[in-house]
Amino acid sequence: MIAPVEVPSAAVLEVRHLAKRFGGLWALRDVSFSVSEGEILGVIGPNGAGKSTLVNLITGHLRPTTGQVLIGGRDVTGLRPWVIAHDRVARTFQIVKPFRGLTVRENVAIGAMHGNERDRSVRDALTTADELLDLVGIAKHANATPTQLSVADARRLELAKALATRPRLLLIDEVMAGLRHHEIESAVGLIHRLRDSGITIVAVEHVMKAIVSVSDRILVLHHGSILALGSPSEVLADPRVIEAYLGHRYLDRRSS
Amino acid sequence: MTQKPSAGPVAEVLQGRSRSTQAMFGDWIRSRTPANSWPVVAGFAVFAAMLGLQQLIVPGTQRLLTSVFLFVALAQAWNIIGGYTGYASFGQVAFFGLGAYTVAVLMNNYHVSFWVALPVAVVVGVLFAVVIGVPLLRLRGHYFAIATLGAAEGAREVINNMTSVTGGGGGITIPTFGSEAPTPYFGKPGFYLAFLVLAAVSVAVAALIARSRFGYAMVAVHEDEDAAGAVGINTTVVKVIAFAVSAAIVACAGAFYAFQQIEFYPTDVFDASFTVLMVIMVVIGGSGSVVGPLAGAVGLELLSQFLRVNLGSFNQLIFGAIIVLVVVFFPQGVVIYLRDAWRTRQFSILDNVRRYRL
Repeated sequence: MIAPVEVPSAAVLEVRHLAKRFGGLWALRDVSFSVSEGEILGVIGPNGAGKSTLVNLITGHLRPTTGQVLIGGRDVTGLRPWVIAHDRVARTFQIVKPFRGLTVRENVAIGAMHGNERDRSVRDALTTADELLDLVGIAKHANATPTQLSVADARRLELAKALATRPRLLLIDEVMAGLRHHEIESAVGLIHRLRDSGITIVAVEHVMKAIVSVSDRILVLHHGSILALGSPSEVLADPRVIEAYLGHRYLDRRSS
Repeated sequence: MTQKPSAGPVAEVLQGRSRSTQAMFGDWIRSRTPANSWPVVAGFAVFAAMLGLQQLIVPGTQRLLTSVFLFVALAQAWNIIGGYTGYASFGQVAFFGLGAYTVAVLMNNYHVSFWVALPVAVVVGVLFAVVIGVPLLRLRGHYFAIATLGAAEGAREVINNMTSVTGGGGGITIPTFGSEAPTPYFGKPGFYLAFLVLAAVSVAVAALIARSRFGYAMVAVHEDEDAAGAVGINTTVVKVIAFAVSAAIVACAGAFYAFQQIEFYPTDVFDASFTVLMVIMVVIGGSGSVVGPLAGAVGLELLSQFLRVNLGSFNQLIFGAIIVLVVVFFPQGVVIYLRDAWRTRQFSILDNVRRYRL
């Protein structure tokens, strides 16, 4: 892969004082953090904490009210989604967005023909799609339509579509929600394999167990602000995190 | 990003392939089989049959088929923006009228050959599509439909009021006799051929686009623009290009139509019923496919002419009733219904109505 020589210390993703207001509500307020190459950053927080808003701001699906987003040191704040996708950033959607009129294979091929280092023919893109469907484990549904997939497989399709654009940074928005226990295990394994192949990952999750086993660091959002940021064990020991997640009654009960 | 040596199969998939154009062309040639080549063969066969048929039929029938060819081209054009890309334009007649007036003004006022005026008409159509497309394609659904309808009405009024250039409401005439004529009139056989080629080119363009990477981008935009943007598709560019390609075909059709008519008024070539027919033909045939608009245009134009000749004053009523019935029973289009029914072996029309009921 030919990439311009970058300043070695430049983070793959850097977010500076990012904020987003919807009317009178601050969905996200003064959020700053950075993710270095090869890292897996978990993002957790209760419903409405601003997790999906954060992803949408990074990928250009929303414009920040204030603040900056830098990809590989380049300021991409306010650029359109496809420009950011061509900066090797891919994402999945929490509410899956398959192209319903196309087959599962074609859904993935679209990313391969319009993303980075794109395949120059539809035929090559379909080959890439088959390889990725195999990777995420839904190769047997290649000719099905997305509406025929189970919840778990629809999320795998989202992941394959994103990977087809050949990203260096992958933002996954709750790909593990609603998965069964053994499915979560295989998803965690897949995320580790992706990281090992050189992709930096930001994983938004609701399921605490899954995120702890997959992340190098965890960022906890609460009411749009960063509540904690650190290694899984640090974050889990943080009383504020416990309170936000499990409620103060849990804390009271434990201390009594 | 440097590739780690221990990366394994995942990294290989994500590496991307760099293949030469020759290698890709070689693959394409090797992949040709009778099973995937028959649409091309069938297309050429029908084209040849239509050429042969011309020798066997009377001028009146030639005229009828000429209008069928015209609507095949218009339906294919509408399908590119309205079917594949999902932006139901109710203003495509604007490009038809602009194409027609460009040719008429150039031939009448400036004595320009039809063959020079024709490409100019296409360029005018494309430019107008880009100019109105960039703002209007930000609208969706009904809003886009109404805005394009308004743009077409506006274009007609502009032509109507540029009396010194276009003749305004008094119409315009293309000189077709003697030394006055920049290009000799084609006559019925000539226009049969011209519209046949126009229809064939439109079908070929639609078929090539549909199978290209751009075709997939149009479908992606149709299905979900956020998801399309996320996989690197510049949705604005895709929409504007689809609109412009559609406009180019429609303007080209308008140019031939103008020369064929010789004399016409703004209300003739900016007639909203052209747009309505394009929409109905695509929807009834099956939008988002190549065969759908083709079948819709041929079927409806032949039906409409048949009813006009045989039913007298009731023909429009019956025509309308038939359209309503077809839309009720085959909401997804007749061709799509037949294709799916053939694949799944389920021909029940009642089940079909239930499946697609809104």
